[in-house]
Amino acid sequence: MNRRDFAKLVLAAGAAGPIPFGITRAAGQTRGGVLTTVIQPEPPILVSALNQQAPTLTVCGKIYESLLTYDFDLTPKPGMAQSWERSPDGLTYTFKLFPGITFHDGSPMTSEDVVFSVTKALMEAHARARGTFSRLASAEAPDPLTVVFKLKEPFAPFLHAFDATTAPIISKALYENTDLRQNPNNARAIGTGPFKLKEWVKGSHIHLVRHEGYYRNGEPYLDEIYYRVIPDAASRAVALESGTIQLTQWNDVEAFDVPRLKALPNLDMTTKGYEFYAPHLWLEMNTRIAPMNDRRFRQAVLYAIDREALRKRVFFGLGKVATGPVSSKTRFYEPDVKTYEYAPAKAAALLDEMGLKPGAGGKRVSLKYLVPPYGELWQRVAEYVRQSLGKVGIDIVLEGIDVGGWAARCGNWEFEISAPWTYQYGDPALGVSRSYISTNIRKGILFSNTSGYSNPEVDRLFEEAAVARDDATRQALYSRVQKILVEDAAVAWLTELDFPTFTDKRIKDLVVTGSGVNDTFARAYRA
Amino acid sequence: MGFVRAFLRNPGGVIGLVLLVAVVVVAIFAPLLVPVDPWEMVGAPFEPPLSPDLPLGSDTMGRDIAAGLAHGARVSLAIGLASTLAALLIGVAIGATAGWFGGVVDAVLMRIAELFQTIPGFILAVLLVATLGPSLAHEILAIAAISWPPLARLTRGEFLRLKNRDFVRAAACQGERPAALVLRHILPNALAPIIVTGSLTVATAILIESALSFLGLGDPNLMSWGYMVGAARTVIRQAWWTSVFPGAAILVTVLAINLVGEALNDALNPRLARRSGA
Amino acid sequence: MRTMAALAAWIARTLAVILVIASVNFALVHAAPGDPAQVIAGQSGASDETLLRQLRAEYGLDKPYPVQLATYLGRVLRLDLGYSYRQQRPVLGLVLERLPATLLLTGTAFALALGSGILLGTLSGVRAGRWSDTLIGLVALVLYAMPVFWLGLMLVLVFSVQLEWLPAFGYRSVGATLSPLGQVGDVLAHLILPVLSLAAVYLAVYARLMRSSIVEVAAQDFVKTARAKGLTRGRVIRDHMIRNAILPVVTVAGMQAGALVGGSVVVETVFAWPGLGRLVFEALSQRDYPVLLGIFLVMSVLVIVINMLTDLLSRLIDPRIDASAKAA
Repeated sequence: MNRRDFAKLVLAAGAAGPIPFGITRAAGQTRGGVLTTVIQPEPPILVSALNQQAPTLTVCGKIYESLLTYDFDLTPKPGMAQSWERSPDGLTYTFKLFPGITFHDGSPMTSEDVVFSVTKALMEAHARARGTFSRLASAEAPDPLTVVFKLKEPFAPFLHAFDATTAPIISKALYENTDLRQNPNNARAIGTGPFKLKEWVKGSHIHLVRHEGYYRNGEPYLDEIYYRVIPDAASRAVALESGTIQLTQWNDVEAFDVPRLKALPNLDMTTKGYEFYAPHLWLEMNTRIAPMNDRRFRQAVLYAIDREALRKRVFFGLGKVATGPVSSKTRFYEPDVKTYEYAPAKAAALLDEMGLKPGAGGKRVSLKYLVPPYGELWQRVAEYVRQSLGKVGIDIVLEGIDVGGWAARCGNWEFEISAPWTYQYGDPALGVSRSYISTNIRKGILFSNTSGYSNPEVDRLFEEAAVARDDATRQALYSRVQKILVEDAAVAWLTELDFPTFTDKRIKDLVVTGSGVNDTFARAYRA
Repeated sequence: MGFVRAFLRNPGGVIGLVLLVAVVVVAIFAPLLVPVDPWEMVGAPFEPPLSPDLPLGSDTMGRDIAAGLAHGARVSLAIGLASTLAALLIGVAIGATAGWFGGVVDAVLMRIAELFQTIPGFILAVLLVATLGPSLAHEILAIAAISWPPLARLTRGEFLRLKNRDFVRAAACQGERPAALVLRHILPNALAPIIVTGSLTVATAILIESALSFLGLGDPNLMSWGYMVGAARTVIRQAWWTSVFPGAAILVTVLAINLVGEALNDALNPRLARRSGA
Repeated sequence: MRTMAALAAWIARTLAVILVIASVNFALVHAAPGDPAQVIAGQSGASDETLLRQLRAEYGLDKPYPVQLATYLGRVLRLDLGYSYRQQRPVLGLVLERLPATLLLTGTAFALALGSGILLGTLSGVRAGRWSDTLIGLVALVLYAMPVFWLGLMLVLVFSVQLEWLPAFGYRSVGATLSPLGQVGDVLAHLILPVLSLAAVYLAVYARLMRSSIVEVAAQDFVKTARAKGLTRGRVIRDHMIRNAILPVVTVAGMQAGALVGGSVVVETVFAWPGLGRLVFEALSQRDYPVLLGIFLVMSVLVIVINMLTDLLSRLIDPRIDASAKAA
């Protein structure tokens, strides 16, 4: 490569960080040891290209890798790609892979596998990946260590689509021209990650062991990882306390147990490592139904709920009040938006202005709230919201339902209020816009724009920001759109959810990226 | 009058009656006795009993347990009564039809009743509520759907017994139509065991309702005792009072109903040895 | 000859029951709104039409109901209980995996309830009127009124949280490496509280029933004759009274089998016992139709089997019993 290319490389690589060879041999890491943790619920299959349920992604993060990984501030860092560059017109992305990467069955991984995974396997089986990779005009593998992606038009968030949960790389030789879901290799879970599947005893545990041919010298430090299946939350807390397991993540531990466990001397707790997902909780109001089509009503809802108290009482202090559609952990967050402080008087005034006078028993209007059936926490949120809104005369009637029913009714707009939460995936174009743009109002699809909010200005801003080429322009556009959405109270944002990751004090370097517990654990070690 | 005296001579019956009256009084006068909204988060979470303003403590959201108990009495009793009424309607209708017509009708209806008694009833109730959606109406329907067979069997037995008695035949000879026969002669005489079994069914209905609510299949807008115990399950280590008190309330109510029901049974059928209801 | 005919009749009845139950299940579960394709799609964190279409085609959800039902019934008869969407494995395997835990729980509870119930009932009956009778009667009364789930929680509170004698949840200790004997002991330790919770109510029922049965038998002539002949009290009780008094208890126990098996749902939830009851609850929230249908079917068969066993037991006790004489 000549001087000019090299310079371009360095410039474009930007905050790529140091090349990992040798750097991980810093002082202190002892090799060896077993990490025992839990997985809840048990994943149905261990191929994240085919199944993207939460537990699948957590376990598969050790088995499969992608081209990149992301720091806590979401800066891209090398995954299997050691460097990358983007052409000035924003249409061509060139990735250079590390040499010596092998699959767990010993076969070498090359750029052909990347091209196959992205253009064939993921396009067929991974809905979220499909959303990004359908923008590709072409993908080529000019040499075994180089991948060249060409987009149809610029798409700035493209670099954020290469974490192991979005674009896991699987073997072309094993999967090409086969029925992906019926492929017998699915049971072997062949990937390129630092750990490979040794044994899976359904209902009991998943046993991973070191992939001796891992391309990063010296890594992984841990010998083995056990994911135990413990369906009961109280049992998991007991196991953690007693040291039987050394790690819990996501909602393995109930919120009310957190204060107690945090105080224990043998455990560390962190809420870092979820920045890439930045789960965001809001009250969704179906704007097709009055009075929710009036933005004064939605604003009243925001004023009527003491979101800080909600955070303290229901989440026991975990998380942050959400100020708008973009999480403070996601790129291009704009803090300077309209504030909706807790002011029931303002809420009442708005409702009066709308002509919704209090009738019998102080009730102005009665609405049904469809409670997401994913556990007690959401039931508690619903109860809290009902009490809060009841005080300003909005009578909330809770409806219980099962998972399939909830998905169907939300997708088909057969609800009045519900409380979904979604992940943001690091960039507003990837995880935020889908909830607010008119083109994503698609009946029957969950996690589309189910509230029905439609604003041409918002549509335009999101569209421009997705294809803009420099960060400054994107920030300006996103700031503008956040201000509009918050002014319009498109939905009632409640909380930026935080999940506690508890580790035994002796486990180090476990949460080192924005994907946290879903990442490879290659650098984790037992002190 | 003899019946009342017989009832009062039964110590269990008297105790049961006293307890039951107490529960009913609490249920009726709940807003006066404990003027706190059971859903309102009046205190800090997990306050122990005998805290100021929280005689029985608070739950995971800081709600008053005493308020939950008082208002929960209304819910549990109401659902118990309503579902028993529904079960009676279904059971008596089916049993009467089977007993009256006999033959094929009887065989078919009793096969159906047998089927309902073979399958694990509670699981059917769970399936019904979960499928149709957790709401008050569906709960009542589900409980009635599994409680009617014993009532049907009993009614059928009574009808078979009474159908061929002299006074009925005499009335039939005099030209009374079947409807009148059933309503004027048979039913009134069959009433006693039906009432006794019915009252015991109320107790079972309350138990089933609390189990359904415990599993999270109750109406989410109704604070019932079963719901309270269910919400308390995961916090049993830090807040034992959140599960002990509501469960004790269920126990006392069901016990009271059972005592009254059995005393009624003894008073109405002094000759029959006491058999516990199936 | 008679036994062969009886067996054939039993098989035919069981088959008919199974088919009826299966059809009812099917109708019930499909009557509700929403479809499993949405569940799987939604849980991937994204959903789009291609995926939904793929899933529907894959699991046959796009065919008309009568076709789905007929296919299902046909498969049931061939012991193919379908495929679980959520767990991505055949239902039969899933059910068979969880069945032993439930069998262990319900079987032990049934045996305990029946055995202790008969024992306590006999004790109570022969000492009718004495304080031991009153005490047992009171205990039975209270146990009978207790909600099963609450009893379970109270037992956990006392024996696990306070006294720390017994484990609170699960089937066995997590992470412990034990010898085979140690493993058996571990499971037994975990079994105690769930079995007690489940058995308590039925223990009360059988105890009271046995008591009244014994009281009735005691008043009968042949007992008086036996005493007059000079037999000791113990022998009279053992050889004559129990044999005759036990029958109604065993009959009722059979009739209550459905309730006992159904009660395992609650107990398994409270104690996180990995059996079919717990699976019901997990499958419900996922709207995992095949699993629900499979469990309900299997549990109904279980009840029928228990009924058959109690029937056999009845005949053993009193060979004069004719199965058809077991009136309503």
